[in-house]
Amino acid sequence: MGVILDVRNVTVRFGGVVALDNVSFSVNSGEFLCLIGPNGAGKTTMLRAVTGVIKPQSAQVLLAGKDISKLPTHKRARLGLALTHQIVRPFRSMTTIDNVALTAGHRRIARILTAMVAMDRSAERNRARKYLELVGIDEVAQKSVVGQPLGVTKRLEVARALALEPKVLLLDEPLAGLNSVEAARLSDTIADINREGLTVVMIEHNLGEVLRIGQRLVVLDNGRKIADGPPAEVMRNPTVRAAYVGKERQNAAA
Amino acid sequence: MGIYEISLATVVGINIILALGLNMISGFCGQISLGHAAFYGVGAYTSALLAKAGAPLPLAIAAGMISAGIVGLIVGLASLRVRHDFLAITTMGVGFLFLGIVRQQEFLGGELGISAIPSSGFGKIGYLVIVLILAGFVTAFSLWIKRSWMGFAFDAVADDEDTARVVTVDVNAYKLAAFAMGTSMAGIAGGLYTFFARFLMPDDFGFITSITVLSMVVVGGIGSVFGVIAATIILTLMPEFFRFISDYKLLVYGALLFAVMRFAPEGLAGLARSSLAHMRFKTRTKDEVA
Amino acid sequence: MLHLELLIQGLIYGSMYAVIAVGLTLVYGLLRILHVAHAGLFALGGYLGLLIINATGSLVLGMLSSAIIVGVGGMLMYRLCYQPILDRPPYVALIASIGLFIAMEEIFRLIFGPYGLTYHHPPLQSQMAIGGIHLRAAEIGMVIAAVGLLGILSYLSQNTRTGIAWRATVDDAEMAKSFGIDTIKVRYLNFFIGSGLAAVAGIFISLLSNLVEPTMGGVPAYKALAIIVLGGLGNVRGTLIASLLLGVVEAFGTIYIGSILDRDAIAFAFLIVVLMIRPQGLFAGR
Repeated sequence: MGVILDVRNVTVRFGGVVALDNVSFSVNSGEFLCLIGPNGAGKTTMLRAVTGVIKPQSAQVLLAGKDISKLPTHKRARLGLALTHQIVRPFRSMTTIDNVALTAGHRRIARILTAMVAMDRSAERNRARKYLELVGIDEVAQKSVVGQPLGVTKRLEVARALALEPKVLLLDEPLAGLNSVEAARLSDTIADINREGLTVVMIEHNLGEVLRIGQRLVVLDNGRKIADGPPAEVMRNPTVRAAYVGKERQNAAA
Repeated sequence: MGIYEISLATVVGINIILALGLNMISGFCGQISLGHAAFYGVGAYTSALLAKAGAPLPLAIAAGMISAGIVGLIVGLASLRVRHDFLAITTMGVGFLFLGIVRQQEFLGGELGISAIPSSGFGKIGYLVIVLILAGFVTAFSLWIKRSWMGFAFDAVADDEDTARVVTVDVNAYKLAAFAMGTSMAGIAGGLYTFFARFLMPDDFGFITSITVLSMVVVGGIGSVFGVIAATIILTLMPEFFRFISDYKLLVYGALLFAVMRFAPEGLAGLARSSLAHMRFKTRTKDEVA
Repeated sequence: MLHLELLIQGLIYGSMYAVIAVGLTLVYGLLRILHVAHAGLFALGGYLGLLIINATGSLVLGMLSSAIIVGVGGMLMYRLCYQPILDRPPYVALIASIGLFIAMEEIFRLIFGPYGLTYHHPPLQSQMAIGGIHLRAAEIGMVIAAVGLLGILSYLSQNTRTGIAWRATVDDAEMAKSFGIDTIKVRYLNFFIGSGLAAVAGIFISLLSNLVEPTMGGVPAYKALAIIVLGGLGNVRGTLIASLLLGVVEAFGTIYIGSILDRDAIAFAFLIVVLMIRPQGLFAGR
């Protein structure tokens, strides 16, 4: 099992605030890594820096040994880095199935000239349907995404990312906003896909699910990495407990 | 068909090509351009210079198309650098810049423009046929692009650029492609206009023209090929059918732009879609009752 | 000497651009709309001012009443034209505004004629010499008005409750609402002030050429749009600096590159050059 995603020395500054301070971690091929930490710790910022959506002050990112630090987002995606958003962003002008079919057809749109002459979407729509079935939303395949409940759109985000056939799946709070039944089902689906070999990095607040399916935890607090290891060990770490309890105290006082 | 009707139809054909070009940039790809007339002008002036130098019609028009496309590519590249809220103003600026330059150059005729452009040699009806064939070709091309995977990628870019990048779409490349194609079409329209009018003035390619073309796209339903064609026909013919309104033409354009955006932002295409859906609903309920 | 004159010319025109552009950037900062019809209100202010001044002979009355009427007009424009389409994609408001502006220009042309109107007895025409440079009272008045009005605006926005409420809303409307600020009232205030300023600018411009005509809003509109982009959309101080800068660039540019580019295109050439070097404008953010 080699390292498939190697994230080194990520520093991100917004205005005067240091959102991430020299954070490094690596992910082994086939691993299920959960990125946790109190609100504002920098978890989403980390994923956005890894995918290139935001430009960090410094960072080195290697995907399957290849340095992708200078590549634009779409090239990183093409190399196999898929991302879902915490606040879902489906393509509102398309149907549910087309949202996934577009990504499924990522090879078609890789070159302008081939994209211009290719017309047939049926193969990609068929594959898209399978992904929709996988996450359980195929009954709304033909419907527009506008007006779909969060339970549907969150699963659509995942299906769309899966259609990329990625090497690494980055999930930003995929379970937030789902009821407990939907959340359990989706996390089971993700765990199944991981068991079949897909590397997953998941940000999640839902510690119950994290402890259930995560194999390794990386904990961020105030932009710094404070723990990195198997779930049970990390949760026993006093620094980690202090970080969470500290936030609880802050919230209680407010 | 009299000479007047033939001229009118020719203008309609030229406008359709021009509007479909803007539709590709602003409709398919979501990049709002307020300076489309500049590319129309580049095509027209290039063709005019070549025509006066003795070049045959196909060469002159092809040159118009290519030069407009190249300028479009440059503008597209420049526009990639700016934030997309700035795009509208930047393209407007390009339009004014084009006029500003043309007005000051002697070899482009300055304020007075270029006159005595040779005739196409095909006669009025023959020329109309050429224009209509090209309009048909441009229409078919637009429909093709819309259905293709390029159109699929355009949809994503127009919808949400950042997310499009996350799903591997090379947004910059697609925007450039849209610009290059759309401005080339404007260049074709410009070349065709040159041989039709045989006399060019800078004011023919100003901000008002950009807005007029934009209104054809917007009233038709931004992105809808048939909607834009319908709107172009109506808006071009309207001042002719209602002669008394030709003095009010601009007022009607302005009011129409406002009214459509205020009350029916999806344009004619949107109205057609919702009345179709409405009719389908009615027949369905009728069937259920029966 | 020529350079000094050009500089002063540039600053004078720049100060007027500032008064126009501020209204535009205020609206953008609040609603993210490019309020092109602002130029129509500018022209309306010019027309109303001229009519009232011709009728009453009083410059002050003309300015005041024109500013107030146009200010109310701006508020109506917000309520009837923009508010219903705020949830649409941004091009809808932009094109609606353009349509509105064109319609307004045409209405002026149809009602008052294409050649415009002139003052019976144009005020502020006396010439003065300051340090060897000849200026008209209207030009000096323009600068004084610009500095005065914008200064007052700046003071009020820092030191009154309404002003602070306005700045909070521009910064973050959701948060402002949660603090109990009536963001709707802020919007009306915004349009009232911006439109009123445009009216004042319209009157001053008309004093310089002794003319109001239907297309007078066009060129300032386009330049104001270029200015607010340069100044940083929503950034008032940036807009002010960009306005003055543009005035000066134009003054010098017309002399030195007037052979390749006409005066109005200079504004856009400047804009495009700047954006290529600094895509976020001269001053990004607030």
